[in-house]
Amino acid sequence: MKQLWIQFQRFLRYRWTLAAGVACIPLAALGDVWITKIVGDAIARLREGSDTDFLAGMFWLMIAVALVRGVFRYLQRWWIVSVSRYVENGLKQDLFDKLVELPLSFHVQHRSGDLVSRLTSDVENVRMFLGPGLMYTGGALVMVPASLIYLLVLDASVAAWMVLPLVIMGLGMKWMAPRLEKHSLAVQESAAEISHKAQEAFSGIRVIKGYAREEQQTRRFAGASAKSLHHQLELGRARGITHAITWGAKDLTFLPILFVGGMAMMNKDLPAGDLFKFIDLIAKLFWPIIALGWMAGIYPRAVVSAGRVAELLQTKPEIADPSAPLELDEVQGRLELERVSFRYPGAERDAVEDVSLVVPANTVLGVVGPTGSGKSTLLNLLTRLFDASAGEIRLDGAPVKRLNLATLRGALAYVPQDSFLFSDTWRANVGFGADEPLDDATVAELADRACMAGEVATFPSGYDQKIGERGVTLSGGQRQRTCIARALAGDPRVLVLDDSLSAVDTETEAQLVRNLRSASRGRTVILAAHRLSTVRHADQIVVLSKGRVVQRGRHDELIEQPGWYAETWARQQAQAELAGL
Amino acid sequence: MIQVVKQFKDARKAAKKAASDPETPEEMVVGKAWDSTLARRLWREARPHHGLFYGAFAVLAALFVLEMAGPWIIRHAIDGPVAEVIALRAQDDPAALEQGLERPTRELLWWALAYLGCAVGMTAFRYLEVAHLTRTGQSVVHDLRVKLFKHIESLELSWFDKRPTGSLVTRVTSDIENLGEMFTSGLVTLGFDFLRIAVLLVVLFVLHWQLALVVLALMPLLIGVSLVFRGGARNAHRAVRAKLSVLNGYLQEVLQGMRVVHVFRREARVSQRFRDLLAQYLQANVRTIVLFALFFPALDFVVNGIQAAIVWVGGLDISSGDLEVGAFFQFWLYVGMLLNPVRELGERYNVLQSAFASSERIFQVLDTQPTVASGTRPRGAPVRGLIRFENVSFDYLPGVPVLQDVSFEIPAGATVAVVGATGAGKSTLANLLMRFYDPTRGRITLDGVDLREYGLEELRSQFGLVLQEDFLFAGSVRENLVMERSEVSEASLARALDASRARIVLERLPEGLDAPVAERGATLSTGERQLLAIARALAGSPRIVVLDEATASVDSQTEHQIEEAQDNLLSGRSALVIAHRLSTVRKAHKILVMHRGVLREQGTHEELLRLGGIYARLHRLQFSGDAG
Repeated sequence: MKQLWIQFQRFLRYRWTLAAGVACIPLAALGDVWITKIVGDAIARLREGSDTDFLAGMFWLMIAVALVRGVFRYLQRWWIVSVSRYVENGLKQDLFDKLVELPLSFHVQHRSGDLVSRLTSDVENVRMFLGPGLMYTGGALVMVPASLIYLLVLDASVAAWMVLPLVIMGLGMKWMAPRLEKHSLAVQESAAEISHKAQEAFSGIRVIKGYAREEQQTRRFAGASAKSLHHQLELGRARGITHAITWGAKDLTFLPILFVGGMAMMNKDLPAGDLFKFIDLIAKLFWPIIALGWMAGIYPRAVVSAGRVAELLQTKPEIADPSAPLELDEVQGRLELERVSFRYPGAERDAVEDVSLVVPANTVLGVVGPTGSGKSTLLNLLTRLFDASAGEIRLDGAPVKRLNLATLRGALAYVPQDSFLFSDTWRANVGFGADEPLDDATVAELADRACMAGEVATFPSGYDQKIGERGVTLSGGQRQRTCIARALAGDPRVLVLDDSLSAVDTETEAQLVRNLRSASRGRTVILAAHRLSTVRHADQIVVLSKGRVVQRGRHDELIEQPGWYAETWARQQAQAELAGL
Repeated sequence: MIQVVKQFKDARKAAKKAASDPETPEEMVVGKAWDSTLARRLWREARPHHGLFYGAFAVLAALFVLEMAGPWIIRHAIDGPVAEVIALRAQDDPAALEQGLERPTRELLWWALAYLGCAVGMTAFRYLEVAHLTRTGQSVVHDLRVKLFKHIESLELSWFDKRPTGSLVTRVTSDIENLGEMFTSGLVTLGFDFLRIAVLLVVLFVLHWQLALVVLALMPLLIGVSLVFRGGARNAHRAVRAKLSVLNGYLQEVLQGMRVVHVFRREARVSQRFRDLLAQYLQANVRTIVLFALFFPALDFVVNGIQAAIVWVGGLDISSGDLEVGAFFQFWLYVGMLLNPVRELGERYNVLQSAFASSERIFQVLDTQPTVASGTRPRGAPVRGLIRFENVSFDYLPGVPVLQDVSFEIPAGATVAVVGATGAGKSTLANLLMRFYDPTRGRITLDGVDLREYGLEELRSQFGLVLQEDFLFAGSVRENLVMERSEVSEASLARALDASRARIVLERLPEGLDAPVAERGATLSTGERQLLAIARALAGSPRIVVLDEATASVDSQTEHQIEEAQDNLLSGRSALVIAHRLSTVRKAHKILVMHRGVLREQGTHEELLRLGGIYARLHRLQFSGDAG
């Protein structure tokens, strides 16, 4: 309840619109009751006398009331649902900003699917409950008591007998709502399973056909489909029960109307027109009562969702600016690592262990080693995507933890291993690396320096070509070079590349590495790589194994030493030749 | 009010724009709302479940009869015993009243009991209405889905090459689900709605033809409102969905690229972008809100108008005594029953429309015949494994040859290694040998018989296939190795694990063979996946091996293990190896050098060295020290 109240305060930012919408609720609901009253009274009057002149007036009154009621219903829905959408957007924006603010250590510990669901289904649950839910509940809370009181005044005994089925109706909905919820969740999950199975079979079709396993896959798929069928049937039954309870209760209300009301009519206590009011109002009470039950049913889920939303909003970022930051006038680009170690949360051993290094400004450091040796982790520590667990990293002599994130990250650029690009234009992707919008000449120059100008020229829309989904698909090498252009766009003092040249052919690679270094003021470059040709011209190469530095030196020195570097170099050279035939 | 009309107009305009947006995916394209050819075909597809459909109609019919009975009972109770007593009272004769009271009271009780029975029956049938209709629709969906999946799997590889996996998945998921909707809320409910409307109209005319005329005259207004909003609502919803998917797509993208966002300090920029997308989403939402805020009140206004007219016209007859009040109630309740399906026509129309579009896409797939057909040759003796490529040419696209006139032989039990640059046609050789495609010209024989004459399953069960990026399925390690092949036994699996060195992988996994494998084998390293793929091939004791060596770097220990495993896989079997390792090449019985689709050199290592061609040059480079 408290959680929901916190979220409800967001609605109060629009309190006047909300109040106007809420004010329309009783007006619309009472209009509905009024129409029933008009018809009922007309029937009573017709039964009493032969005067029919009032019918035309009654007709127009009904039209007028219906019109006014329609306007109120329109306004009620328009105002309340609009506010709920505004709140939804505000909430989503805040959650998004929080996610962007939280450091990588948070993101590696949370599956993106879970985070997305907080911004989607959780926000929607809260919105539904507090927005349209409020509207339906408000409507029902006016409509139900008003109608019941009116009916009680007309004939207490008939009205009293009707309450029981009405209660069954509401409770039935409340009872069934969680069960409906459970089954529809199972249906969704089994649908996702079908989709997974199909995805898997269609992507692995070569293996399936290669082993003539079509029938086996069909059985697997049929199994998933049968499971979905099972859950669909369960859901169908739960829906059937809900449908039967609620409508059955509604049908049952006619029993007291018929018998108790009929008896009352016989006793002259109840005019026919009033009996009509009972019959007509029941139909009008049906949906509001269903809505009340539904609200009660989804209440627990809304509370949980509100809690999950609040939890994310209240998460404090671990990596933040220091309270008394050091200032660097102009970054030179000298990096020092002193006995740096790092361990991922929950891991059994250090991913980086006791690494000490000095990278003088304007030199190139190569970081190599087998998969899982800690290359990427080391780079993440330099960019402060993670903070080292022990030891110290310094930029120009200043510990990175004592620099503002803006100072540190403003001085360096980064090319990720996964060549991450946005589904946007080529220009926008490169421009992501620059503080200011790029002019055409700069974009062209960056393309040139990333050895990409020729290929960009072949795109149908040149620099404004959309890439990724719904655009052209870039090859691995093109993606990597685009990422490099992006990194160069900010003219960084320090450039960090996480195995980002693996898909580029060796000739282009050599050219690229030269281009990376060239900057008017010089540049420090950190190159992690799998392919040793990438680092052969580096000023200094370190070989990592299980997080520790096991070899260091220049290429010429390392190929002379027996060890991982020399072995790998020989093997990779042979493979390169074979592939290059 | 002017504001409202403007909002509405904006909404329609925007919705139209969204519909013609070239970025709207094919799933959202609108088709016809009724297509009798498709409908007939769907009905045929549902043949095994026709019984369920008849059952559904029976349930709906029974429910309808009971629904009609309710108001009928109410009318007869009121116009019968109740009216009788009221008339008696009007005579103001206490003695007669005393005497005449008992029988009508009993009669009223009987009517009430009849109503109770009716209500109980309705409740039961209402349960069946939903549960049985779900069963009907979902049973058809299940059958069709499996049939469609099976059919897609039977299509040749080139068909898959041309289509993104996502769109294929859509066929067996949302398209099929749309079809389910079609069978339940489309064919059955809509069909029955028409019947219901027709019967109710007839009954209304019988009850009171003047009132029925009033209803009939005003009904087009209701249908009009429902249909006018239908298009708008559909398009507006589509626009919201499109904007939401862009919004969520961006969110996912940013989460995925959070490192880049952080390192480039672009928090504010992505936040602004998200804000813009949210604003667009809100705009689309506002349009739906306006539409729906207008829709329901407008519908109800028309309904109220119809009711007002009924009271006016009916009131005159009640006053003159031509219309009993019970009959009026009955009429009133029937009108309510009539108007409900009418106001839902628009919604049903939308369902039908998307279902027909889906079924058209589904039938398009079902009507595609596989071109790589299974041969008819009866299963023969076990093959020896003599493979011959005879003047084989192949092109994916006419005029762009991938292979030109390639001839070579793989003697039974021999390893043939293929080397060449990317795009030289190495993989195509393997694809043709597995009959993933058929040659454009020339032929491939196994033991002297054209591959096309073998049954596909018989042919492919001769092969052990190891791909460069081999594919593991979600499930256990055992499931991935055995793949329900009858030729794989516990013993052959154990031998395969030893020979493939995959035991090393199992030792790392606490559950061993029963350890779960994540989708695409994501929890395993490249080297481990490769060892498992070799074990999978070995387990089937294949006669012929097709191997595309992995190029991804693995540590030297794993590399060594993979090499050993490969040697065991190849020994004694006919093998076509796309080689990336010099050691494999040197050990091969024969080496093929491919260049731009042409077989340029073939022979043993020594022969090729003597030949002094491409291969010899490569070899010289290799042993001249630093070759870079």
